Formats: sequence, structure tokens, C-alpha cells
Amino acid sequence: MNIEIADVTRQFGRTRAVAGVSLRTGAGVFGLLGPNGAGKTTLLRMLATVITPTSGSMRLLDRDPGAYAARREIRRRLGYLPQSLGYYPGFTVAEFVEYFALLKDMPPRQVPGAVATAIERVELAGKARAKLRTLSGGMLRRVGIAQAIVNEPELLLLDEPTAGLDPEQRVAFRLLLRELGARATVVVSTHLVEDIGVACGEVALMDAGKLVFHGTPQELTAKGEGHAIGDAPLERGYSAVLAAARS
Amino acid sequence: MTAGAGQVVGQADGEWRAWRQRLVAGVRLLRLELRRSAMVWMLPVTGALFWYNAFRESMAEPAMWNLRAMTMQHGVLLDFAPPVVGAAAWMGSRDGRRQLTDLIGTVPRPRWTAQLATWAAVTCWALVAYCCCVGVLYGLTARQASWGGPLWWPAVVGAAGIPALAAVGFAAGAWFPSRFTVPIVTVGAFFALGFSSQPRAPQWRVSPTVSGAPSIGPDAGIGTFYHYLPDLSIAQVICVVGVAVAALGALGLLDRASGSWLRPIASSMTAVGLAAVVLAAGLAGTARLDPHGMLVIPGLHDAANDRPIGYTPICAHAVIPICLNPAYAAYLPECKRALAPVLAEVAGLPGLPVRMSQGAPVYFGPLNSGFAPSGAGVVIADGSSDGSRQTTLVLPDQLPGEPSGADITVNQFIGQIRLPVAADLIKIMVGVAPGAVRVGAVPGAGRISAASGGGSPAQRAVAAALAIDAGATGAPRANTAVGLAADRFAALPAAVRHAWLATHLTALRAGRITLAQLP
Repeated sequence: MNIEIADVTRQFGRTRAVAGVSLRTGAGVFGLLGPNGAGKTTLLRMLATVITPTSGSMRLLDRDPGAYAARREIRRRLGYLPQSLGYYPGFTVAEFVEYFALLKDMPPRQVPGAVATAIERVELAGKARAKLRTLSGGMLRRVGIAQAIVNEPELLLLDEPTAGLDPEQRVAFRLLLRELGARATVVVSTHLVEDIGVACGEVALMDAGKLVFHGTPQELTAKGEGHAIGDAPLERGYSAVLAAARS
Repeated sequence: MTAGAGQVVGQADGEWRAWRQRLVAGVRLLRLELRRSAMVWMLPVTGALFWYNAFRESMAEPAMWNLRAMTMQHGVLLDFAPPVVGAAAWMGSRDGRRQLTDLIGTVPRPRWTAQLATWAAVTCWALVAYCCCVGVLYGLTARQASWGGPLWWPAVVGAAGIPALAAVGFAAGAWFPSRFTVPIVTVGAFFALGFSSQPRAPQWRVSPTVSGAPSIGPDAGIGTFYHYLPDLSIAQVICVVGVAVAALGALGLLDRASGSWLRPIASSMTAVGLAAVVLAAGLAGTARLDPHGMLVIPGLHDAANDRPIGYTPICAHAVIPICLNPAYAAYLPECKRALAPVLAEVAGLPGLPVRMSQGAPVYFGPLNSGFAPSGAGVVIADGSSDGSRQTTLVLPDQLPGEPSGADITVNQFIGQIRLPVAADLIKIMVGVAPGAVRVGAVPGAGRISAASGGGSPAQRAVAAALAIDAGATGAPRANTAVGLAADRFAALPAAVRHAWLATHLTALRAGRITLAQLP
């Protein structure tokens, strides 16, 4: 199992952002759904070792992130795309991705090749020398994905990766997700349920800091049968689970 | 080789390879940062500030290495502080402003090392700019100076101050990544440096903007006759290195995402840096003024530096050779102009010195409230083995062309040399100081001492007459017998006066000539 978390809680002052979440998942694309404020980003930040849980236990890539040496090893094998990706406007696309490749402790000899591959996979090869300040929001998102995958991560955490991508790019991105999910654990947090339906083999739904559903997209779709809210079957399942959790 | 030994060698080899990889990655990070550092944009600003302030101020000084180097040290860090601190604070606050803290927190390499690469890039560019500025200034001085070589210690202090400025700015930016941090830190650093150069407690001499004793500052006599003492510079370097280490350590304390190993290292660095600052300030507090105008710090002083600097003097002939240190070559014509009339008056008389050589000024007085280079324009008579008299001439502290202080003219400079030299020469020749009769003054020059030198009335009258001839005019006349005799003797044609002195000087000096016997 690449992710094993048990009864994980994270509190910010009096606010409990994540309340007793338990999860186990291996390789494949894992979709994390939930409304705004459900705790998805906090859970992802804990998985990314940015913050530590207030309570509960975590094992990532068969290591305990609480220990420094293990955390370092996890980070070497980790890719993370935060919800709001910052960037250095003066850097070019290639420089930005190279910067993170170097920070990820990649062997310097492998860096140029890995950078070129990552940029190509997000279809920005033609913009490799363009400064980030000249790129559109969607392109910047793709740069963010490129920096996340540059080290061929075993655990890839993507927070709203398709926000700002045009339909064509979203299709390409789903393909990329499936490709990455073949050998790594990819956790995708998103509002867009259609991304989950197409790309994910497993899905979890969070509400008010708790995991209210964990199963396959088909199982989620099944939950929505007979439910009126939502245009697509998966959306109806999403709404039904949320409604049940809140009732 | 046993299997165990082979394993150890293999392990060491692996560790070495890992270190090498980290080093190469660090260099590549630095290369990226160098390309995109905000300091690159600040280079023209830095150059302009340097030109406007330190360069113009230094180049306005006479072409002497000591004056220009010390003036540069005083101004250069003030010029570099705003752009360097500003750029460093901007780069330090970059991750916070750009909301990259989370992302940087998920990488295996400690955020601190990434920050160090960013800081190093700012520092590298600033140091390149600094070296260029110093290179231009020293290059021009090398072409203009008549003698000597560059003083490196003032340049070293400035160079050591650049990383410290960058570290302070960077740490402030990283700790407080607000849009107000850059202007606040920039203005704060400028004023902090500016105020630190004002003489206060002796410990403040450790400020890198202080060049030499605060009450003296850049002075032509310092480092010309005796080696420039690095004592204060060493203390200043310790201080600025301490500031840099403390600031970089504080930066490490910010990195909570890395392991627990970082915190003790960062805390130790901060503590060591602060201890170095305290140590340097303490050392500076023990400094005392040495007779050659430099600060001696007993804890850092190397007695080997107290040796005088050997040089071949440059000479001009005016009755006797007048010889100066080659650093003062530009002032030899003025010295000759100043001394020729005085020496002409006593030429060929018994007791005339055979040579007049420039000597080092002697500095004394409290460090912070004032000082006096003793004997400006004074001739000190020295005996020599063959019985002939050598004399030592000390030039005034203020040289024409120096923009600081009194800003004296060439004529004032000549007057400052001529009058005291005349007084001393007359005393050597006649046996009594000319001030016994009247007090003379040349505009802009010092007054001849009014203290009575004793001697017979005839001696005093002759001394006064010779002083009048040397330019000591304009003072109220004393309506006494001695004064009238002096006027009478001074009114004689120079040739007659000189002929009388050649005949009667020995008797006059022995006190055997009366006022009535004076022509």
C-alpha cells in the first residue's frame, strides 16, 4: 500500500479540517471529491508532508513520514501540485521545472532529460523557453503538473489539476493520469466529477472533514440511481452520498 | 582486502558520490538563481549610486592610495546597502509572496539550501559589482598616484560587508514576506549603516563604514610612512562575517519542514554569528590611537606591521635639497615655493641644515573628540654623525584639493608650511624664536608662537626681522627698542643683511651683540 492512514485528524485552532480519516490505497488513480471546505486540500497537504496530522497515524510509500530520513525518502518519490500554484515569473518553463527537479534531489545528470520529458508530457515543449509570466492560466497549470511529475513520482498528489485547462487539454491530462496511475499512486482532488469518472479507479468523497464514501466510480454512480440532483450519473451519486451524509 | 574492508570503501565511495551530486545540484541551482536574480536589475542602480557618492568623493581626493581607499570604505557600503538589501529582501520574500512555501516544503532538499542558493546569487552579483567599482577606482588611482600601491584592507572590509548586507535583507524578506518588507528593510539598513559610522561608544568603530580612527578619518599621513594597520579592518571583517552567519542561521530557523538536525545547526550559527559581532565590538572597544594615526587593537595587533615603509624620496633644490615622500610628489613644487624665500635668507650662514626631509606626522589626542597631528609645518633639527644638520619637515595635515575639512587653497598651504618652518629655522640659526618680539600672521596660515624664546635683545630683534622677511607681516608692531631694531634690520637690503649675518651670526648667537650694534 502506498498510502495507509488511520484515524487521521488535523485541527487548525478550533476548526477540525480533517476528522478521523482512514484510507488505504495502492497504485492507480485515486479521486478525492468533496464540496468546498470538505478538507480535501488539508488531507492532501498532510499526504504531501507539508503539515503533520494532529492525531492518527500515517504511512506513505511504506515509510513513516514522522521520521526525517523516511520523510526525505518519501519526498524524493513524491510529486505535488498545490491548489494555488505559485511560480517565479522571471523563470522560463524549463528553468522552473529544472529548479524543482534539482530540489527533488534528482541526480544532476538525469535532470535535463527528465525536464524535457516532463515538459513534453504536458505538451509545453514549444514553450520551454517562454517565461512563466507570459503564459496563460491553463499553461501555468500544466507547468505545475510538469514540475510534479519531473521526478517520476511513486506518489503524485494533484489538487485541482484540471482547473483552467481547456477541454482538449483535460482530455490529454486524463490520458496522462491513466499512464501515471499504471505505476504510481495518483491522488486527484477535484470538483469536476467527470474527471473522476474517466480517469480514476477508486474514489473517495469527503464532507466536513470526514470520509463519507470510498469505492469505485461505478459504486458511486450506483448510489445516485433514482436521485434527482445532477446532470450526469456520477454527479447524481455524488449528490446522493452527500445528502445521505448530511441527513 | 577483506569483505568488511571492501564494504567500508564502497560505503565511503557512495557517500562521496552523493556529496558530489549534491554539490553539482547546488551549483546548478546557483546558476539558475544567478540568471534570474533581482540583483541583476539592481546593478545599474548600484553603479550609479557608487559613481554619485563613493567614486566622486574618492576621486576628489588627491591621488594618494590611502586617501582614496579609506574614503571609498567610508562610502561604498552606504551606496551598496539600498540596492543589495532591497534585492535580497525581495528574493528572500519570493517564496512567501509567490505562495510557493507549500511546494518548496515538499521537496527532499531542505528549503534552507534553496534559500542559500538564492542568497548566494544575490551576493555573487553584488560582489561582482563591488569588485568592478573597486577595480575602476583603484585602476584610475594606479594611473594617477605617484607612488605606493592599493590598500587592500578597506576593500576587503567592503567585500565582506556585501554578503552581510545581502544576508540581513534576505533573512528579513524570508521571515516577513510582506510587500512592505523591502522598503522598510532597505531604508532601515541605509540609516543603520549611516548612523553606525557616527562616533559614539568606542565599540561602534566596528561598523564597516568607519575607516580608521573616527576623529581622523582618511588622512594623507596614514599608511604613507608606516604600514596600514589591519587591526580595525580585521575586527570589522569579524563583525560583518558574524552578521552574515547570524542572519543565515536565522534563515535556517524558519525551515520547519526539514529535519530536527537543521534547528541545532541554525541556532548554533546564529549564536556563533552574534558572538562574533560581540567579540568584534569588544575588540574595537580596546583600540587606541597609535602615533601614526591608525588604531591599534592589542588583541589583533602584529608588531611587525609597525615598521616604517621604505621609500626613495623625491627632492627639489632650493638652497638645500627639500625631499618629500614620493606619495607627496605633487606637492613638491608648493613646498619649494614655500621654503625658497626662507632658505634664501639664511643661505650660506653657519648652522644651516644641509637637507630638509619630510617626516611622518605624529597623531595624538582622544580618539573620539579630536586629534592633532603634531608639528604640521615644523622643522625638527636632527644632528648627524658628520656634524652637519639634517632637518625633518612635517607637512600640514590638510592638503590642497582635499574636499573634506577646511578645503584649503594652494596659497594657504604654502603659508602653513612657510611660517612655522621660518620660525623654526630662525630659532636654529639665531638661537631664539622670532615670536619674542612680534606675532606675525600670513592669511590662512598659523600664527607664529608668541612665546618668548629668551635670548639677548639683539637676537630677538634679528629673529623678528627675519620672520618679517619670511612673510610674517600684518601684525601690530611693538613700539619697543627691540621692535624698532627689528624694523630697522628688516628694512635693510637682503644682500646687506645677509652679509652682516654671515660676519656676526656666531657672535649674535653667543649673545655678544647689542641692539646698538645692529645695522
